[in-house]
Amino acid sequence: MRPRRAMALSICACSGACASASAAFAADITAESPVELAVTVYRAPARSSGSIRLDDLNGFALISETRMVRLPAGVSRLRFDGVADGIEAQSAIITGLPEGIMEKNRDAKVLSPSALLAATAGKSVELLRTNRKTGRTDRVPGTILSDAEGGVVFRTVDGVEALRCSGLPESFAFELDGVPSAQPSLSVLVRTPTAVAGKVTLSYLSRGFDWAADYSATLSPDERSMDLGAWVTLANSNGTGFPSANTQVVAGRVNREHDAVEPIDLGGPILALCWPRGSTSDSPPSRELRLAQVSAGSSMMPAAMMMAAPRLERATASAQQKVVEEQLGDLKLYRVPERTTVASRQSKQVRLLDRAAIPVTTLYRAEMTTDDPRTSFAAERLLRTVNDKANNLGLPLPSGSVAVFSLHDGQRLLLHESTIRDLTVNEEVEIGLGLSPDVHVEVVHEQVSVGSAPAKLLPLLPGVTLRTAAREQVERVQIGNARSEPIQMELRVALYDGARLVRADHPLGSKNGRPTFTLAVPAEGTATLRYQIQYQVQSTVR
Amino acid sequence: MRLALFCAVCSFYLAANAAAADRSLAVTIYNGNLALVQDRRDIDVKEGRQRLEFQDVSAQIRPETVTLTAADIAIVEQNFDFDLLTPAKLMEKAVGHEVTIVRVNPATGAETREQAQVLATNGGVVLKIGQRIEVLRDDGLPVRVIFDKVPDNLRARPTLSVTVTGAHAGQRHATLSYLTPGLGWKADYVALFDEGSGKIDVQGWVTLTNSSGTTYENAQTLLVAGSPDEAGDSGQGNYRPVRARPTLQNPGTESGSRERLGDYYLYPLAERTTIADLQTKQVSFLDVHGIPAEHGYEFQNRWLATSDTALSARSVYSFSSSAHAGLGDQLPAGILRFYMRDKRGDPQFIGESRIDHTPMGSTLSLATGDAFDVKVKPIVAKRTRISTFDWQTDMRYELSNALPRDVVVKVLQNGLWGDTRITAESQKSVRRSADTAQWAVTVPANGTASLTASFESRY
Repeated sequence: MRPRRAMALSICACSGACASASAAFAADITAESPVELAVTVYRAPARSSGSIRLDDLNGFALISETRMVRLPAGVSRLRFDGVADGIEAQSAIITGLPEGIMEKNRDAKVLSPSALLAATAGKSVELLRTNRKTGRTDRVPGTILSDAEGGVVFRTVDGVEALRCSGLPESFAFELDGVPSAQPSLSVLVRTPTAVAGKVTLSYLSRGFDWAADYSATLSPDERSMDLGAWVTLANSNGTGFPSANTQVVAGRVNREHDAVEPIDLGGPILALCWPRGSTSDSPPSRELRLAQVSAGSSMMPAAMMMAAPRLERATASAQQKVVEEQLGDLKLYRVPERTTVASRQSKQVRLLDRAAIPVTTLYRAEMTTDDPRTSFAAERLLRTVNDKANNLGLPLPSGSVAVFSLHDGQRLLLHESTIRDLTVNEEVEIGLGLSPDVHVEVVHEQVSVGSAPAKLLPLLPGVTLRTAAREQVERVQIGNARSEPIQMELRVALYDGARLVRADHPLGSKNGRPTFTLAVPAEGTATLRYQIQYQVQSTVR
Repeated sequence: MRLALFCAVCSFYLAANAAAADRSLAVTIYNGNLALVQDRRDIDVKEGRQRLEFQDVSAQIRPETVTLTAADIAIVEQNFDFDLLTPAKLMEKAVGHEVTIVRVNPATGAETREQAQVLATNGGVVLKIGQRIEVLRDDGLPVRVIFDKVPDNLRARPTLSVTVTGAHAGQRHATLSYLTPGLGWKADYVALFDEGSGKIDVQGWVTLTNSSGTTYENAQTLLVAGSPDEAGDSGQGNYRPVRARPTLQNPGTESGSRERLGDYYLYPLAERTTIADLQTKQVSFLDVHGIPAEHGYEFQNRWLATSDTALSARSVYSFSSSAHAGLGDQLPAGILRFYMRDKRGDPQFIGESRIDHTPMGSTLSLATGDAFDVKVKPIVAKRTRISTFDWQTDMRYELSNALPRDVVVKVLQNGLWGDTRITAESQKSVRRSADTAQWAVTVPANGTASLTASFESRY
């Protein structure tokens, strides 16, 4: 990304050099192994909360590798080996080369038995035929005529034959000439006026990474405060590892566009399909046998492996290495202070934060709708606090999962697992604790009255009358608390378009634009709320 | 600032090279997975009627688009044969004919040769040897089958052939041109934003991809910004297309110096290049530094959308493609990736956005992602029926900013269809379009701001 000057492909640079400097004469140079590595992991853009799944890492990473290169004068093809398998080749940026990158290439052709066969088709090749009895191998010179549709036809002095249809052990001795490499390769065609040696930085985006914050909250016995700790869990599902890398993770949603995926060469075995080989003793395989073969082929990953690493408990609160936060544009970047190895197919955890004694409110909540078919349901229990200094927080909380623990006879027991979205400073923090069967809400439509208004003729639609009727509904809500301590209950009312809450026997509040009642329910007791809503019903009569 | 990276002069030097190889390829690649291949070569033509075969053409050639032009020949017919040479076809075509079978004694390795006639190949091969009828390898013992020759119309690859009548014998220049899918290109941009100075550096690369199954050696390559293929990317299976956020704010009216073909811009590659099969190739076409860019925030709210939680505003960067204060080039469609330096000075990725073909002089506004610290909570505060069909909607937008500096958020309210009017608002709005109102709200550092508006609508 360093500012780069003009490239030497202008008209003047072409004079004389162009005719001889064709790609065909390029010297092949391989860049040395990286001396410096940096990995920045980004979350899956579509996931707004929750933890990662190791079998489905939909995030990505920016990888920067610094390598030593030595280029002779003239045109050379500089190859970078050992890049991540998930590389998005079109995002590759190469900096540090003096001038004259002619083109960047990503070759997806890989070495496979079928690639060898395709490379040899039409050329002379040796057929190897081994005698099973004597072990002697005959070498017969021949030509491969076709490898179309999985079958191989070749010609020898005897005539035309098909590979491995005779029942004899047959194969070819291939010449290793101009065959592709084992992995898709990334290379640049570069023209240098003099020989150069120096450091080149390659950076690219790669699929197959992800990260999330994994919080664990421990509620105090009086449920008035909690301790919050969190890990950054990052994972790499690529076959490439990144030893001793500067490692960062980025929080916040970044935009990703759907892009054409580069072509893939699947490679393949030499199938050597023959003519129909049915014999007189063949009968079709039984259905059961075929099904058994199918299920044997699709082996599943054990369930335990698909889960992210278990949430490790914190040993000491302060002595641990923690990630360091910094602002990156409108995102948050967390840097692992020491170099670390992001190995292939590994998940790794680094401490994000530890905060103790955060005051929390435990409350119960229920949603009231006008036409809820439920008449009796359990309330939702949740913890609420504000992400600010007064509450011992006041730092960005990146999205992830939250496990809430409670102390029980000196033991930490899991209460509930939920998720958290990206929360910035001063935002309200709510951690769900699940439904509570001890706190029950019963709803009764106590009274429904429909007023009658005179029908009105619509001026523009002859013959159609419009009847508008005011409808009033009185709801009785009874909250039963089976717990041995008093609770705080929050009832959020959802209203029809144009409906109003006209009367209630408890003070009415408002939260986020919605009518909300807050009630105290005594221990092992009940509380009753009545409210009246009013709205208009319109009907047309022809 | 822009570099003239593609030069037509170069082709003059390369002409000698091409003539030496007696084959010269020219590939014109369009955006939508389509390419025109022009294959010039010297062919030997005899007098009278003959068949000319072209094997090294694209594996995905559209045979109906083939044209062969050469001096003093008349084309009789063009054929595209896709009967492929496989062991099964070989045996099938041998039905009724004689083949040689070689039995190998598994104990001694001794070979016995016999002549056999192939009777049928349905499910298994039935042979007639002398007066006996036998199923080939019914006993599982090794038997080689040797065919005398390959039937005429079986080939390893689908083959294009042209039957021509030559007026006289001799070598002549011929041009074979055809369309093929499997080749396409797009642009990829890299933008490095400097927060301190508010400037960006932009590099542009053309990215061409070949999955046509064939390698084009030493080809003169021309990229056309446009896709003439009408049957291109319809039918993505989308039930209802989502209206994307527009990236182009003011379409430009500057012309520039690029070559054109109709209304398409041309991007010739400066040098001949080899486009290998399954290759993705990138060549630079743009490299500019220090373009002024603006960073802002935007929040779009659907009609009557309300939220219990604060939603992140979009982080938006805008800059110009004009010649005097911008990139100074037409921008072919592609993806622009934004980077920004972290505290150590290393560039980090901060998001990407797709751009369409953009004329020179345009203003682009690209969203890179969500702002972690700038959020908006849209709330429908009240809905009242004011008469039979008229409604009043009171909206409140609560904005918050956890950054240590003031920010301006453009709040956009969509869905103001029909004769919806704004009857009251806490600050003046502008109409971005018939259905969208926009307020630019300043939110103080580490603070909050509130915006209210009342709408009168009918249904």
